[in-house]
Amino acid sequence: MNTIIDKIRSEFHREANAIKDLKDLEPLRVKFLGRKGLLSTSFDRISELPKEQRPLFGKALNELKKELENEYQNLIKQFKAKEEQKRKLDLTLPGRRPFIGGKHPLLIVADEIKDIFRSLGFSIEDGPEIENDFFNFEALNIPKTHPARDMQDTLYVTDDILLRTHTSPVQIRVMQRQKPPIQMIAPGRVYRRDTPDASHSPFFHQVEGLVVDEGITFADLKGIIQAFAHRMFGEDVKVRFRPSFFPFTEPSAEYDFSCVFCKGRGCRVCKNTGWMEISGAGMVHPNVFKAAGIDPETYTGYAFGMGIDRIAMIKYNINDIRIFFENDVRFLNQF
Amino acid sequence: MKVTYRWLKEFVDFSETPDELAELLTEAGLEVEEVTPLVQPFSGIIVGKVEQVQKHPNADKLSVCQVRTDKGTFQVICGAPNVKEGQFVPFAAVGAELPIGMKIKRAKIRGVESLGMICSKEELGLETHSEGIWAFDRELPLGKDVYELLEADQDWVFDIAVTPNRGDCLSVYGIAREVAALTGNKLKPLNSEVEESLETKIDEIVKIHIHDPEGCPRYAARVIRDVKISPSPDWMQRKLEAVGLRPINNIVDITNYVLVELGHPLHAFDLRQIEGSEIHVRSSEAGDRFVTLDDKERLLPENTVMICDAAKPVAIGGIMGGQNSEVSGQTKDVLLESAYFKPERIAMSSKKLGLSTDASQRFERGADPENVIRALNRAAALMAELAGAKIAKGICDVYPSPLKEKEIPFKADKINRLLGTRFSEELIKEKLTSIQLKVNEGKVIVPTFRHDLSIAEDLAEEVARLVNYSNLPAKDFTTIFYDMPQSDHEKRIQYLRTELLALGLQEIFCQSMVKYEEAEPFAESAPIRIKNPVSDDMACMRPSLFSGMLKAVSYNLNRNNRDLRFFEIGRIFTSFDRENIPTQPYAVAAVITGRRDLPNWNVPEEFVDFYDIKGYLETFLQKLFLDNYKIILYDNARYMAAGESVAVRIDDEIVGVCGRLNPEVCGIFDIERAVYGFELNVDQLQKYMIFDRQFQPIPKFPYSERDIAFLLDEDILAADVVEYVRKNGGSLLKSVEIFDVYQGENIPEGKRSLGLRLRYQSTERTLSDQEVDKYFQQIINKTTKHFSASLRK
Repeated sequence: MNTIIDKIRSEFHREANAIKDLKDLEPLRVKFLGRKGLLSTSFDRISELPKEQRPLFGKALNELKKELENEYQNLIKQFKAKEEQKRKLDLTLPGRRPFIGGKHPLLIVADEIKDIFRSLGFSIEDGPEIENDFFNFEALNIPKTHPARDMQDTLYVTDDILLRTHTSPVQIRVMQRQKPPIQMIAPGRVYRRDTPDASHSPFFHQVEGLVVDEGITFADLKGIIQAFAHRMFGEDVKVRFRPSFFPFTEPSAEYDFSCVFCKGRGCRVCKNTGWMEISGAGMVHPNVFKAAGIDPETYTGYAFGMGIDRIAMIKYNINDIRIFFENDVRFLNQF
Repeated sequence: MKVTYRWLKEFVDFSETPDELAELLTEAGLEVEEVTPLVQPFSGIIVGKVEQVQKHPNADKLSVCQVRTDKGTFQVICGAPNVKEGQFVPFAAVGAELPIGMKIKRAKIRGVESLGMICSKEELGLETHSEGIWAFDRELPLGKDVYELLEADQDWVFDIAVTPNRGDCLSVYGIAREVAALTGNKLKPLNSEVEESLETKIDEIVKIHIHDPEGCPRYAARVIRDVKISPSPDWMQRKLEAVGLRPINNIVDITNYVLVELGHPLHAFDLRQIEGSEIHVRSSEAGDRFVTLDDKERLLPENTVMICDAAKPVAIGGIMGGQNSEVSGQTKDVLLESAYFKPERIAMSSKKLGLSTDASQRFERGADPENVIRALNRAAALMAELAGAKIAKGICDVYPSPLKEKEIPFKADKINRLLGTRFSEELIKEKLTSIQLKVNEGKVIVPTFRHDLSIAEDLAEEVARLVNYSNLPAKDFTTIFYDMPQSDHEKRIQYLRTELLALGLQEIFCQSMVKYEEAEPFAESAPIRIKNPVSDDMACMRPSLFSGMLKAVSYNLNRNNRDLRFFEIGRIFTSFDRENIPTQPYAVAAVITGRRDLPNWNVPEEFVDFYDIKGYLETFLQKLFLDNYKIILYDNARYMAAGESVAVRIDDEIVGVCGRLNPEVCGIFDIERAVYGFELNVDQLQKYMIFDRQFQPIPKFPYSERDIAFLLDEDILAADVVEYVRKNGGSLLKSVEIFDVYQGENIPEGKRSLGLRLRYQSTERTLSDQEVDKYFQQIINKTTKHFSASLRK
């Protein structure tokens, strides 16, 4: 009786020792522990034994079964561990990377400018890029013979239809359809007949601002530009207003920000002046109000412009405007 | 406009340094772009005395000089022929640096040692060309710094950007007037006294008639006899050169000098060439031609103010004189013209002629009619002084209806209301009078040189700039934070952008002006052309975003950036009737080319194809929440490759195309690779985008899937089969996906196997296998019958 038990055990050990691979374990299990395996058949043969030996043999068989199952589980663990070691990943290999998109830097800055003005209570308006002479010039107090037309060399489609030279026509369109109070910006593309170089592009991007209500003064304009400068470039940026000339504003101003690179001490970027020219602004000229159907005796207002490209160039320290429109992925990937 | 610091000081005493003055002017609206010293400062050049000059033993043209300074005597080799013993000269010792950037070193010249250099004016940056060394005209202390000697005469050139409204500041005197107001000093009057040394009266010599008083309200002249044409004196040449004018001869230089000084253009005629000694001012007629003094024949715009004699035109009024009457070396007698022309007329003619001169620029911005006589006298006096001329008695001054000074009602409160200030009436008056405006009985009287002032707002600017903009109040908005809602348009654009970014596409921002060839293939009829383009490269407006985007693709491919996935949102320019502004809808487009996956050690290299761009499109459209859109076969877009192009249709409207870009069109952009793309018209699309979506409950019960492969004629379209199955598969059929398409081994010629995966699901219960099998079998039967298909085993 014990010889049977020992025989099975030693046979199991012999075969188990011969196993080299995880996949050979399953036949071992089938042979010894399976439904029709050696242990099962041995149980079946209990009835052949004399009655008094049966319990003892049964007990011995059960113990053997537990023992072999245990050993079998250990074998599985051993082989799995070995297998695992064999298949170990080289974690230093690069991962499979997906293509990833990104926003264009100029539009990131445009978003930022829009967010700042929304935080100051401005709505965002839009207007066509191909405009009528009326909206681009006449209504903005720039009649045909006005010398200011020379300031902005214009691209024409017909004698009367042109590529807008500034975003100011949107002012007129908004004032024509909406009564004051108005507090809006209009970002967009504008065109000039300029030969492209590092600081000129025949098309570039502006944000127009317009505020019209009763009692609006130059002090509002100064305050808004100041607030914008702080939110865009930080609290330590100073703003300077200088008199200038635009036909559509009176009084007119140019405004400068203290140089963000040298903090106004003077450097190469600001040509040692400590100031960076940003753009123009002023109080809306009464002739503009008249052209747009708003009573200049009741309402006053201010308007301003700024260059998105210029602000982006300052923000990212870019010195050639053309790089924005080449769309080289090695440039775009940096943002 | 260029003026010099010292020239300004002739008309106003002020104590500001050049830099302080520049800041003052800039802050008052006369932007000083640059201040340059006339003499570039240098140091280390000292006075030396030439003690001895001997011939160089080995060179004929060189001399060996001994130069004594306060530090001792130095041997110097000098090549200048004019070096002489006893001269006091500028001496650069070893180690000194010349202003032209040269450093003096110890040297051996043809075997003889040289320990410094005797300088010429050229080497000190004082003139552009010198013939020899600079020998001082007097004895000077040895070792004295040479720049310090010059410094007493140093001057600074101010380059001022004068805005178009400030014609009055296109002169030294005009800027001096501003300086006087800004520094609180008095403007000195201009000396315009003339000694009329001839007995003959001008009226006996010339007659002047104005036939076009609208174009030329005032015309005045003097006759100047016996002029001696010669170079003008040094001081005048230097001043003209400093402000950027080239000296010519004394007569021309004097007219230029008065132009710069007073801002009033003059013209000198050779009196002998004026037939009949008569001047007629009239306007030109269509087709008139004239040869200007630059020897160019010009077709005159109609209604140009012309100065004529008894027989012929002699000058284009206010713009340029004529070749037939210009002052030459033989000129003896001069007719000197000083006139006032209407700004609009000069602007019109100058623009149409394409001829802009110092004179026309001043007249079109508005000269001062009151300067006519002042300028005439100033020039005549200078001609008497510098050209030995004799001046006939009197002035011929034709001024039929003198221009009046403008009047503006004086309203201090209006000025304060605009500026947000509380300036007193006194302060405002004081500021206005400082720039020679008169304030009288509630009126402000504007002098004739300030064409730009006509309304109260203009006065507000004057007060503001004289107070200085920096001193105006500013409201404090720094603590204000609103949250203005985005407009619907803005919201939609941002939404599209977000979704495209989520698809892993890179946003680009392209040119909207492109070459004709780059626009034409995308235009429905013809692209919109620009009449006066910057260049042929930017001659048309893009009819499609592809025009600019393919340029960006090409740019990148040329730089070996080969795997590209781009999108852009922007305006395109489509139909145009030439009467109204064109339709310029927003479009959204994507283009892809290159590898399907980023290169990796265990990803096989494959390239994108039609199904990649279609996949992008389908995913994108899914996020736009459109009902009822269809992707249809579409070969109508000639810029798309035949047989590889589809369109998006909503209702009966085509809102976009998708597929491979036509290789021939890509060829225009020098692109040889396959490029795939889609473009959608946002303005059309947004009508159909539904943002107010209702939540759909997630199914509670499990689904069952069944797969089937049909063997079909190969030209039966997959979409037709899917649609048939979807329509006829019963209400429990939730989706139909194509999981396999196969042709080849085991499939008969002309057939194709299409594997469909059908998903069944109920919202109310778990479906039993038998039930699903029943529906499944039914649709298999219908489909095989409908398409004469069989089942693939």
